[in-house]
Amino acid sequence: MIIHDNQHLVQPIDCRTAVQRLWDYLDEELDAERYAEVTAHVESCRACAQHYDFARAFLDALSAAQPMASETGVLKSRVVAALRAEGFGQG
Amino acid sequence: MSFSKERDMIFDREALDCLPAVARFARSLTRNAAAADDLVQETFLLAYRGYDSFQQGADVKRWLFSICHHAWIRIAQREQRMVLAADDDCDAELETYAAVHGHAAAQRAGLDGFITSIDVAPAIAAAIDMLPSVYRTATLLVDVEGMSYDEAANVAGVPVGTIRSRLFRARRLLQEQLLEHARDAGIGIAMNHTSQDKQ
Repeated sequence: MIIHDNQHLVQPIDCRTAVQRLWDYLDEELDAERYAEVTAHVESCRACAQHYDFARAFLDALSAAQPMASETGVLKSRVVAALRAEGFGQG
Repeated sequence: MSFSKERDMIFDREALDCLPAVARFARSLTRNAAAADDLVQETFLLAYRGYDSFQQGADVKRWLFSICHHAWIRIAQREQRMVLAADDDCDAELETYAAVHGHAAAQRAGLDGFITSIDVAPAIAAAIDMLPSVYRTATLLVDVEGMSYDEAANVAGVPVGTIRSRLFRARRLLQEQLLEHARDAGIGIAMNHTSQDKQ
């Protein structure tokens, strides 16, 4: 069966293929055709949808765990002083 | 205005503006505040010396990350703190399957909801710190800094396939580490009790 979405004819894929494409899909590294195939599969497969939801939450948690930029004022002063020794700001 | 003065003003505005991001990246690479500061200084000195070769309009942050990463590898190799080879035998596809199997096991143990149910940021930061350097770099560039595989490969100076397999292994290792953390903290038991209480 071929499913038709707005832009693409979508070939059905199995769970194995959907799982194989998990990270590439969430990182938006798939081409449009493969992306649409995964979207169609996940919309109709509860088990895969759960894996995708978990992986998405995991990636959200990873990016939210980004360390806060610490106070870099002192470091910037040190870097600028080192750059001045190279002629920075003296043109 | 002289050419060099204008060049320095652009360097100040474009490159030095990225110092907090470079400092964060350097801190993650070195896991040591003093070493990170040294690495940041080295990065900006190298960048300043090579600024004439930087193509205006290109991504300055990515360029600085690349300089920072290469400087770190050079320093670490000089100090013999790092072995770069022999850990690229991971298979991206197998790593993805392993991550999904890990999720299935977490589901069975009632642990899968923990990622959204508690503040896992400190546990994630600790888990990232424990990763071997090549995997830490991959997840920092893609998951924390939001780079594409291609951009991250460029910064790390490795093929796209390598950054992809390193990234997938990093995620699998992090996932295992976090699930272990949840298990140790008795989170699965607590969550099961909470869900039973609601019924």
